[in-house]
Formats: sequence, structure tokens, C-alpha cells
Amino acid sequence: MEIHGYQMPENLYYEKNHYWVRIEGDILVMGMDDFAQKMAGDIVFVKIPFVGKKLQTGKKFAQVESGKWLGKVYAPVNGELIEGNEALEADPEFINQDCYGTGWMYKIKPVDMGEVENLIHGTDAIDKWLLADIEKYKEH
Amino acid sequence: MKLYNLGKVPWQESQLIYHALALCGEEALCLLSPASPYVCIGFHQDVTQEVDLEYCRQNHIPVFRREVGGGAVFLDGRQLFFQLILHRNSPHAPKRIDAFYRKFLQPIINVHHKIGVPASFKPVNDLMVGQRKISGTGVGEIGDSIAFVGNLILDFDYETMSRVLKIPDEKFRDKVKKTIEENLTTISRELGQESLNRWDEKTLNDLMSKEFEKILGPFTFGRMDAVLIDKIQELKTTMLDDGWIYKKAGQLTGRVVKVRAGLEMVQRMHKASGGLIKTNFEIREGKLANINISGDFFCFPHTLVQDMEKHLEGAALGDIREILMAVYDDPMNQIPGVTIEDWMMTIKK
Repeated sequence: MEIHGYQMPENLYYEKNHYWVRIEGDILVMGMDDFAQKMAGDIVFVKIPFVGKKLQTGKKFAQVESGKWLGKVYAPVNGELIEGNEALEADPEFINQDCYGTGWMYKIKPVDMGEVENLIHGTDAIDKWLLADIEKYKEH
Repeated sequence: MKLYNLGKVPWQESQLIYHALALCGEEALCLLSPASPYVCIGFHQDVTQEVDLEYCRQNHIPVFRREVGGGAVFLDGRQLFFQLILHRNSPHAPKRIDAFYRKFLQPIINVHHKIGVPASFKPVNDLMVGQRKISGTGVGEIGDSIAFVGNLILDFDYETMSRVLKIPDEKFRDKVKKTIEENLTTISRELGQESLNRWDEKTLNDLMSKEFEKILGPFTFGRMDAVLIDKIQELKTTMLDDGWIYKKAGQLTGRVVKVRAGLEMVQRMHKASGGLIKTNFEIREGKLANINISGDFFCFPHTLVQDMEKHLEGAALGDIREILMAVYDDPMNQIPGVTIEDWMMTIKK
């Protein structure tokens, strides 16, 4: 669905720092959402941590750089990193071009798949959360 | 909020202090400059690709990797650093990147105006005098803090800056130096060398602290306490370690030197099955400029490379593929073993 010009697929789960999560069998795929990539501008670097890295919900586990800002990536669930999108090492702009497709960032094996239910999901919740953030980002 | 008005400090501390404050979660403004020169690379850069390490070693110029993005820069005591550390969720910090820079570059603009330099903000994060940049800035999220760092450039050593960068050929190095000279100005260049007697480090730091107080409220005097000193010592063991400085990032096939917002100099190399392709070009406001193509591939007619340069000159980045397709569509043009994809690899940022 589109909310104020931002594409936010309603079938995805969202971490509050604007990373999306998709369930694929018993693993999770995550990436940056459309709102975040538009706010960040041109992405110039994505850190791909080593496979096997333990992730803790809400803790940073990687960095992403837009040229103007070196930001962090937060784990959406407890789990283990099982793959990073290596194509982003050479072409980080995939995130800007196709953030839900070729611009995916990491694959995670969650400790408990049920944790995704703690993420933002469902049309109403996504809508409410994004509208609030759009308002926040209008400040100053 | 605390103000650390430190003047000249050992070069290592000119970087470690803001990392330490950020990791300690202490909000502060640091005003300082390094007692000796060094090279500072961006968080994700590969030092072996970016810096002429042999030159630096011979000239006793150390190298540091910051936890802030951007490119390699040569820093010395003629650049006065401002480093603002805020909590990640500070009410002072606008969420939008452009609004953040606009807000916190305003004090620096005001200082330039006070001393007679007509600096203005150019989104996203540049401070310009006419077409020339006069301050470098960046932001990194460190710990649970945001570190906003930048410099007031009294004077700049263009020669050493172009020397410390790893650039494979001297022609390109000379071009880099000239382009930096054309696109980066300094306070002494704007006001004359004698102005530096009037606008010394202490006076300018006082002006900066007053301007930052206008948006952040009154400062209290910060001292390097035991906690901060311990954190700096701890960081010395990690951030001055070769493992940190030499850590590898993604593979680069060439060089991109960002001169200012809207101007990058690019050098690329790519091995196509038909031979090596080398390109040198600039990206000026999103368009190709001064493109030069060379290599050891064969082409027919022999003027084809020159024709391609002509067609590509001034082209928007999004139009490159179409221009190349038109070249390949002409049956007279032959470049065996070099495809449009090969060209796309060499004519990109």
C-alpha cells in the first residue's frame, strides 16, 4: 500500500527503525523500508557482518552509510545472521532502486519465529506508525 | 551541556575524544585541533585503496579510521574541529538528515559571517562560499549517540592532501589537486593570510561556542575526568590498532574523490574479455564531464573512442546506457569483447 508517497507493502513486518521483515519458510529476510531509503538518500555502503553473528532484538548489528550519515541497523528479532546480500557491497544503490527486492539486506534464522508478531504489522498498525513518523520527521 | 574547549591536543585525541564521549553517552561540544597532521579515512573505506601509505610512512603522517562516513581527508592544526555529541533521541536533534545539518551548521555559518566570510548552506551538508566548499562535515551514530563533526578551515595544504591519496598515476593526481584547489576555499584564502592574526584559534573557538549556545542553551565547563580519560585509553587499544585501521570493506575498482556536493572525480578500471578499459571522468551535478577513455581493447574505426567521449560528455547518468546502445547499434562500430555492460561497469560512481 502507498502512504503519503511511501510504498509500504502490507504483507511485511516492520521494525520501528524502518527495516522490513518478510517470512520465507523458517527464515526471515530483512531490508530498509521505502520511508528510510528516501530519508537517507543515496546509500553508499552497507556492512555485511559475518555469517553466524548472533543477533539480539533491538541491538545494532551492522552499519549503513548514506554519504551524509553513518547509521545503524538494529536486529528485529533474536536470532542468527545466515546470509548478507553481497551484491550490496558493489551496488549499495540497489536499496534505493528496489528496497523490497534486489535491495534486501540480510537473512536471519530467528530463535523464535513468534517474535515477528512483536513487530509492526497489519494495515492499520503500519498506517498509524508511518503517519506518526512522517509527522515526527516534519519537526524543525 | 558541557563544553570542552581544548585548543591543540595530540592528534589521536582530536578523534578519540568524540568517540569516547559518544560511547559514554555524554552530550557535549568539543572545540579543538590536532597538534600534528594526520590522515583520517571514512568508516567504510579500505585504507590500502584510498591512502598512499608509503608516502604517509615516509613523512610520518599517521592514519586514523573514524566511525563517521565520508572520504579520506588530510587534517592538521590549521583546521579547527567542532564536534557535537547528542543523545540519539535528543530533542535538539531533528530527525531529518537535511534538517539536522541545516540546524547545526547555522552556528558555523554565523561565525563565518561574523569574520566577514559570506558562507551559505548548501543541502545536504555543505557550507559554501560561491561555488567553493569551506567546511567539511559528517555524522555518525556511535553507541547511543549522534556525533556531528566538522571543521573551520583556516588554511589548507592542498599539496599534501593530493599527495596522501592513493592515486595510480601522476596526471590524475595533478588533476585532483587542481580540482580540490578550484572547489575548496579557506578563511585565509577569502580574507587574506594576515586575517589569521586577528582570527586566531581561541577567538574563533569562543565565537563558535557562543553561536552553539544560542541553539543548545548555556554550556558548563567540561574537564577531562577519569571516566573520559579511561575511555580514551580503552579506545586507543582498538581504534589505533592495525586491525581496525586496515579492515577491509567492499572491493573497489578505481577511485572516487568527492570534491564537494555535486562534484566527484572518478577513475575506473575494468577487465573486459576484449581488454582493459580505463576511464577518468567527473560527475558534475549528476552529469558526466571531462570524460577520458583509454585501455588496451581494440576498436574500429580508430576514432570511435573519441566519438564516444564526445557523445558521453554532458550526459546525465541515467542516459548513459541509451548513448552506448546507439553506439553499438551502428554496424560500423566494432569493439570486440567489450559489451555495453562492461562500459556500464566503468562509467559509474
